[in-house]
Amino acid sequence: MDSIDGTVQVRGLRKRFGSVTALDGLSFTVTPGQVTGFVGPNGAGKSTTMRIMLGLDSADAGEALIGGRAYHALRTPLHEVGAMLDASAVHPSRRGRDHLLWLAHSHRIPVRRVDEVLEQVGLASAGRRRAGGYSLGMRQRLGIASALLGDPPVLLFDEPVNGLDPEGIRWIRGFLRSLAREGRTVLVSSHLMSELEDSADHLVVVGRGRVIADTSVRELLATASGDRVSLRTDARTEAMTVLAAAGATVASTGRDTLTVSGPSAEKVVQLLSGAGVPFSEISAHRATLEEAYMELTGDVLEFAAAPVDEEDAR
Amino acid sequence: MTDTQTPPVTPYRSTAVPAGRDGFVQLLRAEWTKLRTVRRWGLTLLGAVLVTVLVSVFAATSSKVQFAGGGDRGPEPTGPGGVRIVDSFRYAHQALPGDGTITVRLAEFRTGEGSTPEWGKAGVLIKKDAAPGASYAALMLTPGHGVRLQNDFVHDRAGSNSPAGEPRWLRLTRDGTTLTGYESADGKEWSEVGAVTVPGLTGTVQVGLFVASPMVDTMDRQFGSVSVSSEPSRSTAVFDDVTVDGGSGDWRHTDVGEQPGGDGQSSGPVGGEGESSESGGRFTLTGSGDIAPAQYNTDLAAMSLSGTQLGLVLIAALGVLFITAEYRRGMIRTTFAASPRRGRVLVAKAVVIGVTAFAAGLVASVASFLIAQPILKANGHKPPRFPELQLTDGPVLRAVLGSAVLLALIAVLALGLGALLRRTAGAVATVVVLFVAPLVLVTTLPIGFAQFLQQFTPLAGFAVQETLTRYDHVATLCLPEEGCYPQGPWIGIGTLLLYAVAVLGLAVWRVRRRDV
Repeated sequence: MDSIDGTVQVRGLRKRFGSVTALDGLSFTVTPGQVTGFVGPNGAGKSTTMRIMLGLDSADAGEALIGGRAYHALRTPLHEVGAMLDASAVHPSRRGRDHLLWLAHSHRIPVRRVDEVLEQVGLASAGRRRAGGYSLGMRQRLGIASALLGDPPVLLFDEPVNGLDPEGIRWIRGFLRSLAREGRTVLVSSHLMSELEDSADHLVVVGRGRVIADTSVRELLATASGDRVSLRTDARTEAMTVLAAAGATVASTGRDTLTVSGPSAEKVVQLLSGAGVPFSEISAHRATLEEAYMELTGDVLEFAAAPVDEEDAR
Repeated sequence: MTDTQTPPVTPYRSTAVPAGRDGFVQLLRAEWTKLRTVRRWGLTLLGAVLVTVLVSVFAATSSKVQFAGGGDRGPEPTGPGGVRIVDSFRYAHQALPGDGTITVRLAEFRTGEGSTPEWGKAGVLIKKDAAPGASYAALMLTPGHGVRLQNDFVHDRAGSNSPAGEPRWLRLTRDGTTLTGYESADGKEWSEVGAVTVPGLTGTVQVGLFVASPMVDTMDRQFGSVSVSSEPSRSTAVFDDVTVDGGSGDWRHTDVGEQPGGDGQSSGPVGGEGESSESGGRFTLTGSGDIAPAQYNTDLAAMSLSGTQLGLVLIAALGVLFITAEYRRGMIRTTFAASPRRGRVLVAKAVVIGVTAFAAGLVASVASFLIAQPILKANGHKPPRFPELQLTDGPVLRAVLGSAVLLALIAVLALGLGALLRRTAGAVATVVVLFVAPLVLVTTLPIGFAQFLQQFTPLAGFAVQETLTRYDHVATLCLPEEGCYPQGPWIGIGTLLLYAVAVLGLAVWRVRRRDV
């Protein structure tokens, strides 16, 4: 096989559909060894970008390169990029295994590999049933199996979590991480940040055909409102005094609860214990990825619902 | 799967799967796998075979052909080479032991009483003997086709376009087995019509004057029904200035082809006995009949393959679905992502569906022929009025194999339409408009328009099912109802081939450019 640096580069992609600008100068890079989340509201251009990466749609400007080469230049694409665009893109009368079989034949991939990937995604027993009878979760697994068929270093998944049950979601998160651990480049799109919260290492956030943020998950969380500590204590006044003296911002949120910003939970415990202030409960409150994402995309939501007036709602 | 903590920066290298190649053979194999793994499509193919055979058998069971007048011919004699022939005419002749020349002036040629046979014949004729089917060469004037030099029934060569109403000088020279024809307007300036070698004209032969006047076919064509009537005709020719060099013996007058004691099925002139007289070197001959290859009116092979006309609908639907099913569910993206050279994918699909349709079509047409032939025979379609056909006869083999090719090309055309339109319903409707509608319409439209459809729409492919040999020098009715295509089998299937290649080519061009 050709030496492939599994980096995916997207440079200045532009694409219009009639009067609608789907992509407006999109650029980002996906690197191997981590799961990159590709997030944005519906209609942000995620699927269009993935179709251009796979040579299915042509860009009006810009390019998408896999290991430095355009998709059309790949002679054995299944060995270089595995993709799942739409889990329901299988003929309902064809058995799951047969769907993988024709794909395998197109690249002279041995039949045993078909059974291997079915095993890998947990469809070994369902492979001989017609795809029309599959649940959405099983179709997602079949789509992932077809992406893995050529054992490629680059994997693209469009909304793989969509429609999965909680068990399936847990499975796919672990699966994506293990694929990345093997050194593969894994790009996963989703319109819900929460789906990626536990699996993505890096995020590319898009809205209206542009990149809004291209950052690691850790950095994104840091830019969002900082960490807070919730505290329950009967000695509210004493606690406030001790913590304020240490430079923390303290807010009273109830009769016996306080919210502390600034020091970490460990530091708060240390301070209160040192001063002999009793407390019954302490918990760290982390900003969620969802909150950070909402902050970022708040102005670019194309079809944002109008804010509900609470007076009217009542 | 390994759980080893490879440093994340080391890109993944596959160890599980050897790298394959993206050759065309793999594409064929992938597309064949797609085709065979949808059971419904297998059933559609089976249905196409069954429909074809059943409709063919039904057509054979219910076939009725009616002729008014004298279409009922007796057993024809055969000419040199075993061709079935018609050989009956009025002949005034004498012996010609060696080389010689006959020169005449055809003073008058009155054709027909009522209708004029375009291939009426009057002129000079050298024949081995007066028996029907004997080898001959003749130089003649015809009402519709000028001067002709013909020999041994199937060979025809054109001379001038001289009209039958004007006197014409004709000369035929024998030099061994080489016969040379000349014509002249005034008996002074001669031009050569041609020279032919007639191997049968050895030793003593007959030389003389003749007249023949074939049956005239007229048809009455109405919505869904045709009646053909054949009327006998009689023509009279007057010759003067008759000179025969090398002739010997007296002039004799013979109705060639007439069997004495006719039983109504005789092969003699249907228009009655010929007459001829000679006075002062002036010969007057009146007669009927023809000197020509015999032709059948009913194409039994095409009739036993008529189920193809309905079988094609299922084959076309399969061709369309083979691509539109992928578009409908977005599977086409998986296909084109796996094989980015989309044109090759489409060609691979065309090969797979074409070969499959050919195989199914071959099973269907061989079975249709073998089952329908005995039924047709039992229904009265038997010799001598109808030919005895074998699967291994050249024209039958062409029709049977051609029907399979026809279905293969229809499948490819349907695939191309499916790729262009991307919608099952639209593509199937287009195929129906292209094939089925003309098939129904040709029997009801005026014959000129019907023959236009037969020649220039994809329908032309059905011409390949014709097995009747047609000669340009014999008047024939080419009726769409009888499966007659004016252009002949090869041009017909070639026309469909052009359509299929053009539509597939257009589809390849579009698919390569358009977003998926």
